[in-house]
Amino acid sequence: MGKVFDPALIIEFIPTLTKYLGITLEILIYSTILGILIGIVAAIPKLFHIPILKQMITLYISFIRGTPILIQLFLVYYGLPAVLMLWNIDITRMDALYFVIITYSLSNGAIFAEIFRSAISAINYGQTEAAYSIGMTRFQNFYRIIFPQAIRIAFPNISNSIIGSLKDTSLAFTIGVMDMMGRGETLIASTAHALEVYISLAIVYYIVVVILEKVFKISERYLNRYQPNGTATI
Amino acid sequence: MIDIKELRKSFGHNEVLKGINIKVDKGEIISILGPSGSGKTTLLRCLNYLESPDGGTVTIGDISINSGKVNKKEIISLRKKSAMVFQSYNLFQHKTALQNVMEGLLVVQKRNAKESKEIALEVLQKVGLKNKIDSYPSQLSGGQQQRVGIARALALNPDVILFDEPTSALDPELVGEVLEVIAKIAKEGKTMIIVTHEMNFAREISDRIIFMDNGVVVEEGTPKNIFVEQKEERTRQFLKRMTPELDYSI
Repeated sequence: MGKVFDPALIIEFIPTLTKYLGITLEILIYSTILGILIGIVAAIPKLFHIPILKQMITLYISFIRGTPILIQLFLVYYGLPAVLMLWNIDITRMDALYFVIITYSLSNGAIFAEIFRSAISAINYGQTEAAYSIGMTRFQNFYRIIFPQAIRIAFPNISNSIIGSLKDTSLAFTIGVMDMMGRGETLIASTAHALEVYISLAIVYYIVVVILEKVFKISERYLNRYQPNGTATI
Repeated sequence: MIDIKELRKSFGHNEVLKGINIKVDKGEIISILGPSGSGKTTLLRCLNYLESPDGGTVTIGDISINSGKVNKKEIISLRKKSAMVFQSYNLFQHKTALQNVMEGLLVVQKRNAKESKEIALEVLQKVGLKNKIDSYPSQLSGGQQQRVGIARALALNPDVILFDEPTSALDPELVGEVLEVIAKIAKEGKTMIIVTHEMNFAREISDRIIFMDNGVVVEEGTPKNIFVEQKEERTRQFLKRMTPELDYSI
C-alpha cells in the first residue's frame, strides 16, 4: 500500500494542510458560539422546571449524548433537506459547511446545556437569598451574582468540550467539506503517502490543541482569582 | 414602625407560625429567643419575604403586605425597607468585601460608583475591616465574613436590620468580635430584630425580648421581665437550660 515512507514529506505537507486550518477553526468557532447560545436557552426550562419544554429538552440532550456525532451529521445532512422539502424549501444545494455547523452547534448545545445547568445548581442558594434580601430582582441576581460564578464553575468543562469539538471537526470531510482533514484526504489520493499525511495532520491538530489549552489555562486562572488557592492577579 | 399581624406559615402539614402579633417601634432593639424549631427564623424570613406567609399582614414603615395577593413589586419594596444578616453570611463569593457592600448601593439604590464606594468604606470602617476591603470572602475568617455581612446590610441604611442567628456558625473565639459590632450599631439607634442563642448578649443589648415556642409568642417584655420575673413556665424551663449559671446568681 502506498509508496515508501518519506519523513521529509511530513514537513512538506504541513503548509499545504494549514491553508485549510481556517475552515476547521471556522467550524469550531461558529459551532461553539451557537452551541453556547443553544445551551443557555436549553438550560432554562430545566432550571425553572417548565413543563413540556423541560421534557423536550431532556429528550434532545439524551439523543445527542446517546448517538455518535458522525450519525448526527448524516442525519442533518440527509434529513434536514428532506424535511424542508415538505414545505417546498430546497436546500440541497446549500454548502455542506452549513450542515456541519448546524450539527456541531446542536451537539455542543446539548452538552453546554448540561454544563450550564449543573454549574448554576452548584452555587449555594444562600447567595440568591442575600441578593433578594437587599432588594435585587431575579434578573439582577442572575446576571450579577449567579452567572459570573457559574462561568467559573463551567469553564473547565466548556474548555474540554471545545477541545473535543475541534477534534470532531475532522469528520466534516465525510460530507465533502474541504477542511484540513478534507485536504489531507485529497493529498493522500494524489500522492499516495497516507502515513505522512496523517502524521502531518496529527502534528497540526496537536499544536492547535496545545495552544487552546494554554489560552484556557490563563483564562481559568483569571476566573479563579477569588478562590482560596487562586493567584490574585487582577 | 413594624407591625406583624396574625402571621401564619406552614410547611406541608407542619404549622410553624400560628398567628404571630408583634409591634416594633423605631429604634427599638428586639431579641427573639426560643428553642430550635420554635419558628423564630421563619418569622424573620417572612418579614423579608424570603418565605411567603400563608396568612396575616407584614407592615414595615409605609409598606404593608397582606399575604395571599402579593406581587413582585410589593415584595421588592418591602425588602428595600429591611436588610438581613444571615447565619451563614451568604456573601457574594466572587466579589471583594468592598464590592459586596457596594452591590446593593449600585444595583438596588442606583447610586453612582463614587458615592457607593464612599458609603461602603465608611461602613467597613465601622465594622473594623478597613484593611480588608480588597479581600474575597474565601480569604476572610468567619467573624470577618459576618462583619462584611453586617456592613452590607448597614450600608443600605434600611429601616430595620434583621439578624438571623448571626453568631451560630462562628467558632467560639470569633463570636465576640461580631457581637461587639452589633452592639455598636445598636447604640446608634438602628431598629434591629435579632434571633439569637446568645442569652447574655440578648439580655444586655435588647430593649425588649420575645420568647417564642412552638409557633407562638409565649411571653414578651424587658430583659428583666423575661430573665428574672418570667411568668410562663415554658420560658423558665428554656432559660434554665440555656443559662445554668443563673441558678448561682439568684
